Amino acid sequence: MKFHNLSIKRKMTLITMLTSTAALLLFSVSFLIYDLIAFRHFLSEDLSTQAEIIGYNSAAAMAFKDQAAATETLAALKAKEDITAAVLYSPEGRIFARYNRANIAKMTLPDRLPPADGFRFSGSFLEVFHVVSLNGEPCGRLFLQSDMSQWNARAKRYAGLLLVFMVCSDLLALLVSSKLQNLISQPILRLEDTMRMVSSRKNYEVRALKFYDDEIGRLIDGFNTMLADIQERDTALQGANYELKSQTNELEDEVARRKQTQEELLGAKRAAEDASRAKSAFLANMSHELRTPLNAIIGYSEMLEEEIQDSGRIEKVEDVRKIHSAGKHLLALINDVLDLSKIEAGKMGLHLEHFEVAGMIEDIVSTLEPTIAKNANRLVLQLSEDLGQMHGDITKVRQILFNLLSNACKFTEHGTISLSVNRATAEGQEWIRFRVSDTGIGIGAEHQENLFKEFAQADVSIARKYGGTGLGLAISHRFAQMMGGQIGVESEMGKGSVFTVHLPAHVTTEAAGTAKPKQLSGRAAAEPEPKLQPNTVLMIDDDPAERELMCRSLAKAGFHVVAVADGEEGLRLARRIQPVVITLDVLLPGIDGWEVLSRLKADSELAHIPVIVVTIVDNELKRADCGASSYLIKPVNRDLLVKLIEKYSELQPSTSGGGVPVNV
Amino acid sequence: MGFQIDKESLIQPVAQWARVLCVCFICAALAFPCPAQTADSPDSSEYLIKAGFIYNFANLMQWPANTFSSPDSPIVIAIVGTDTSGGILDEVLAGKKVAGRPFAVKHLKRGMDLKGCNIVFVSASETAHLDEILHLVKNLPILTIGETPSFAQRGGIINFIVVDDKVRFEVNVEAAKQADISISSRLLALAKIVPQTDGSKVQ
Repeated sequence: MKFHNLSIKRKMTLITMLTSTAALLLFSVSFLIYDLIAFRHFLSEDLSTQAEIIGYNSAAAMAFKDQAAATETLAALKAKEDITAAVLYSPEGRIFARYNRANIAKMTLPDRLPPADGFRFSGSFLEVFHVVSLNGEPCGRLFLQSDMSQWNARAKRYAGLLLVFMVCSDLLALLVSSKLQNLISQPILRLEDTMRMVSSRKNYEVRALKFYDDEIGRLIDGFNTMLADIQERDTALQGANYELKSQTNELEDEVARRKQTQEELLGAKRAAEDASRAKSAFLANMSHELRTPLNAIIGYSEMLEEEIQDSGRIEKVEDVRKIHSAGKHLLALINDVLDLSKIEAGKMGLHLEHFEVAGMIEDIVSTLEPTIAKNANRLVLQLSEDLGQMHGDITKVRQILFNLLSNACKFTEHGTISLSVNRATAEGQEWIRFRVSDTGIGIGAEHQENLFKEFAQADVSIARKYGGTGLGLAISHRFAQMMGGQIGVESEMGKGSVFTVHLPAHVTTEAAGTAKPKQLSGRAAAEPEPKLQPNTVLMIDDDPAERELMCRSLAKAGFHVVAVADGEEGLRLARRIQPVVITLDVLLPGIDGWEVLSRLKADSELAHIPVIVVTIVDNELKRADCGASSYLIKPVNRDLLVKLIEKYSELQPSTSGGGVPVNV
Repeated sequence: MGFQIDKESLIQPVAQWARVLCVCFICAALAFPCPAQTADSPDSSEYLIKAGFIYNFANLMQWPANTFSSPDSPIVIAIVGTDTSGGILDEVLAGKKVAGRPFAVKHLKRGMDLKGCNIVFVSASETAHLDEILHLVKNLPILTIGETPSFAQRGGIINFIVVDDKVRFEVNVEAAKQADISISSRLLALAKIVPQTDGSKVQ
């Protein structure tokens, strides 16, 4: 085991013992060495003294050459165990007498003798020389040799003593240090216990016990202070934790509340949407409900007018005409309100297709002819040669121009209305510019600002005089904006007005389903229709008044009309009679018009027959999907319907493929 | 500290030592002539030893305090009878001193006054007149030395004898006491102590 890893107790005991042992050892050894050296000195002195005594005792024998006496004197050394040999030399250097300890073999004698007294250590022997003299007269020399057995014995005795002494004092040191080390190790061990307790139980309320006011005491003080700090922070942390928890709870409550609110809001939104849908449905239904009687009013008033004219009661014609025109006005109002509400709701989409601008203008002009003639106006058309095709929503373009030309006719009497159309490039884009000018009453500068705002006619009196809702320009303005164009006006009171419409030649929009009408028109153009029964038209409509009106109008135009009230019957008849054109109402009992249309288009025998959808429900998306050839909104302009049917029955391929919504 | 002679050390001290050694040897040779067995003639070597012994005797004994008039007064040796040493005693003792006192050697005839002497050497030639001579010095603080058998028994203090071809000596402690001369125990330890017998018996 390494010393470094021993416990403090053992370390301290060991240190104490090692220190005391080392000190003791050093002291003892130095003392021993000193003592042994001193003893050696003492021995040499002692031996010298002995040499002197022996020399004195043997001096006379030497002087009188009495070898026996000298040998006897030396023999007395037997009592001295440590003396191994003694030799007396005559002054001439010859051995005079000698002594050898019994158990020692003959020793080698020094061959040269020093002339004076002295001693030397030779190996493990101490040798002494002494000049023997008698009353100051030298009479020989003495050589004494000691094996220093005393010294050796003393050294051995000392070594043993030292060993015992060391063991005893080490034991004492062990005893004392094992008692005294508690002074230092005990507080440290207690501190360690406390630390272990704190770290294992995370209990910061424990305090280490202080024993003495020494460094360890200060260490314990520091530890306790640290513990107090930690405890304080722990408490603070717990407090913060509780606070955080309560705040989290509050937040969760808040989130729950918000969630509830959100659900309520969602519910409200759904309710609002439901309400909006209900409103839309209501509007659709209402317009249907409004238009159905209007159809009857307008249709019958037309017939009535004809019949009255035929019967020659001219005075009544004017009354009937008023009914007719009031009905048409009401219809226009309803349509405008519907359009505007759609725009407001953002439900008015664009249905882009390619169409011939000139062809479209021609259609409009032919439709407007009666209106133009009404106030004895003259229409001047200025179409540039390069008009070509335009990509846009033909219905809306048509409606814009229709509105502008209608207005021009309305506010001009005996004047000239001119429509000029040309193509221009500006801002890196091709534009079609429509310019409608009249020589009418003109618009005051103060009114021009509000001209394109909803329900804002130039003057309240105008409404009374000229009629109209004031919505036409607002709708036109919105339509132009939707297609990325604009409408501007220049006018002077009494001199007439000029409305200019700029529309992009290629209207771009993300509106869905723009390709469908193109396909529709493309297909219609691609499939030649065999001429089977050119004069049979199948009419599917559940409104008996409508059926009768249509029958009369078409019969007049020379068509044979087969009318049925429901879709199934219509489909059955269509297969049997193979009509040239089918007119189809959407709102039917049983299967609705869209279903009938899709079945017609799904049937290979019937798919080629052009279908003119006649409906109150103005669902542009659906009509685009289902593949109707034309689309008319009730109440139907009969002249337009007759023209359309004639066109299809003559197997003229439809290129523009659009229906003309009645907007007058 | 020993007597290591370092070869590396200077030659001068070695030479000094060598000189000292030489002097010592010469001195020793002068003081202690060769033992009898190695001497050229038995007589001369014997007397050389005896001369050395006499010197040592003087060293190891004390005369009464008032014997000498001054501290450097010589120790007077009287050789009575024929000088059998042939002048060796004179020669050997001439330059020697004991405790600062030189030796003064006198040659005397039998019957001459011995009172001023400190040591009296009775030659072997006077064997017949021993009692007479000893009688003369009786009760005087004079060390009597002889070389005649039974010299000590007859009242002489020290007598040279030859044992195993070696010169040894006898001491008559009684006679020394009578002469008021104290002899060192070291000398006595080496001597053959003989008792006093009546001088009438002559060998």
